[in-house]
Amino acid sequence: MQLILSTAGSYPRIGDVPDLQRHRRAYAQRERGDISAEELRKVEDEVVAGVIREQIEAGIEVVTDGLIRWYDPYSHFARGVEGVEINGLLRLFDTNFYFRQPVVKGRLRRRGPILLPEYEFARSVSSRPVKPVLTGPYTLARGSIVEAGYRSVHELALAYAEVLAAEVGELSRAGAQLIQLDEPAIVRHPENLNVLEAALAVVGRERGAARLLLHTPFGDVAPLYRDLQALPVDALGLDFTYSPKLPALIADLGSAKPLALGLIDARNTKLETRESVFPVLDAILPALKTGPTYLMPSCGLEFLPRERARLKLETLKRLRDAYLGGRS
Amino acid sequence: MSREKLKRLGVELPLLPTSTVGSFPKTPELAEARTKYTRNQITRAELETLEKRATEFWIRTQEEIGLDVLVDGEQYRGDMVAYFAELMGGFQTGGLVRSYGNRYYHKPAIVGEVKWPGPMTVQWWRWTQSLTKKPVKGMLTGPYTVMDWSFNDHYRDRKSACLALAGELRKEAEALIEAGARIIQIDEPAISVRQEELSFAIEAMHLTVDGLPAYFITHACYGAFETIYPDMLELPVDNLDLAISNSALDLLKIFEKDPFTKDLSLGVLDVHNHRIETPTEIKARVMRGVRVLTPERVWVDPDCGLKTRTVEESRRKLETMLTAVRELRTELA
Repeated sequence: MQLILSTAGSYPRIGDVPDLQRHRRAYAQRERGDISAEELRKVEDEVVAGVIREQIEAGIEVVTDGLIRWYDPYSHFARGVEGVEINGLLRLFDTNFYFRQPVVKGRLRRRGPILLPEYEFARSVSSRPVKPVLTGPYTLARGSIVEAGYRSVHELALAYAEVLAAEVGELSRAGAQLIQLDEPAIVRHPENLNVLEAALAVVGRERGAARLLLHTPFGDVAPLYRDLQALPVDALGLDFTYSPKLPALIADLGSAKPLALGLIDARNTKLETRESVFPVLDAILPALKTGPTYLMPSCGLEFLPRERARLKLETLKRLRDAYLGGRS
Repeated sequence: MSREKLKRLGVELPLLPTSTVGSFPKTPELAEARTKYTRNQITRAELETLEKRATEFWIRTQEEIGLDVLVDGEQYRGDMVAYFAELMGGFQTGGLVRSYGNRYYHKPAIVGEVKWPGPMTVQWWRWTQSLTKKPVKGMLTGPYTVMDWSFNDHYRDRKSACLALAGELRKEAEALIEAGARIIQIDEPAISVRQEELSFAIEAMHLTVDGLPAYFITHACYGAFETIYPDMLELPVDNLDLAISNSALDLLKIFEKDPFTKDLSLGVLDVHNHRIETPTEIKARVMRGVRVLTPERVWVDPDCGLKTRTVEESRRKLETMLTAVRELRTELA
């Protein structure tokens, strides 16, 4: 049995010691105009290389670039699209993180590649495969204020999907094998599953040889689990921290798609143990019809202090190795 | 009806009592001193002298404006959760976590049994109350919000942490009452983030306040209404303070379906906007509440703490609010 270790997206960009605070200092210097955009980009490059190194050292086999260059999961894409402006801060689901809300002023048009240069840089500094992460079309649409151009969330989601399809196509052609699409908003709006389905069909159109992993953190996904299985994606990422019933449900229904199991709580510092993780694996793994299976944190690790994020990943590796070791 | 409770507690308030949600901006002098203190350039005692001076400034300002129920302005607090976490047993200052953009904060972590360390806010309350004849509210952060805004390394789950905190925060409420506080606000801005946890948030509030002789207010942030009404009426407090300045909610429609059973503080000033509202706007917002409840049950305040505004903006916003309320008192009398 193969259990591949991955991260789920963001990684803390600074740590508590001064050496690990270069990004924060450089960002503030850039805001004051003391350094150029190019100088900030160089610092970002170093931080990306650092967080990739840290993931690999912790034992992660499919890494992300930590989303170090993102202001937040919404405005990072909105900035790359004509027809969208950026508004005030809004709370990201039930977290204490705030994002800038996109305001749609007219028809969307992608200005150019958003993630491709980031992916290419990350790949150049990583000895392990890099998984690009995109915020999904439904979540972008649900989080946007629409002032003009579209009459419904459905229409807007399809427009964002066109933008993301181009992104996915470029990433796939550049060599990305696994591409993650985050759709947390669907957990709170299951009535829009049809919208998500239509938008995903568009996003996946140009994925070529790459596989699309749909991730749905920040809510109890158990009520949607059956429906997620029917969506036009290649794998599902699941946040287990809200869903006490999810392991039994998967054990019962199985999965036709490979799963990425978000068993490590990326929102709390407490470290997982054999007692909390092994029974879940025991219940789920026999029911999976197809692999590979990924193990990952429940969501991006940026909700934790840097030192704890690393410990979480080391715990993930230790538990995986112990689990497989115990079976061989 | 809660007016009778206030009367029993010895508190007489005019029609449409006015108050604020808790924090005022740090005065420029204090803001500078806080920076110096973190750089070890001034002593704790020097900082406290300036905190007191700033608190006194805000008490005088609130009296000049004509507010009815005053606050200490939280000049001595940084973050509304970290302040308690730093004092209580069982907490550790956590590492840095990003809140947005390039902004980071130290998120507290519960690493052992949480424990009330003795009075945390009472000295400030007592001193502040000694400066004025108007009632000063005791100000606490509720157990659910302290839990939600902290890491939990110790308790089995979120509920256990929340209930443990409730038992300890109750001791602070008791100490405030013992010192003479009659109105205590227990803020729960996080209460609407996970609907599925509302039941234990309510259970925690019961543990915190049941049987205690005070008039309790709970402030919840924008968004709470849509997600947890009418269940939030089960919170065992006398007054719910809700942000409506930015909301197009039709209170009439909502209350027709599920009658509002408590006093209602209407947050009519948008604290996240520099613009000073007009008296006409404010009156319209107050009337949305007065039309559906009786005026006796309505309080008027800003929609959140004013700490992100300047001193001058805070003053002008509140002065306008009082102008509007005075006109309404005459019109409704």
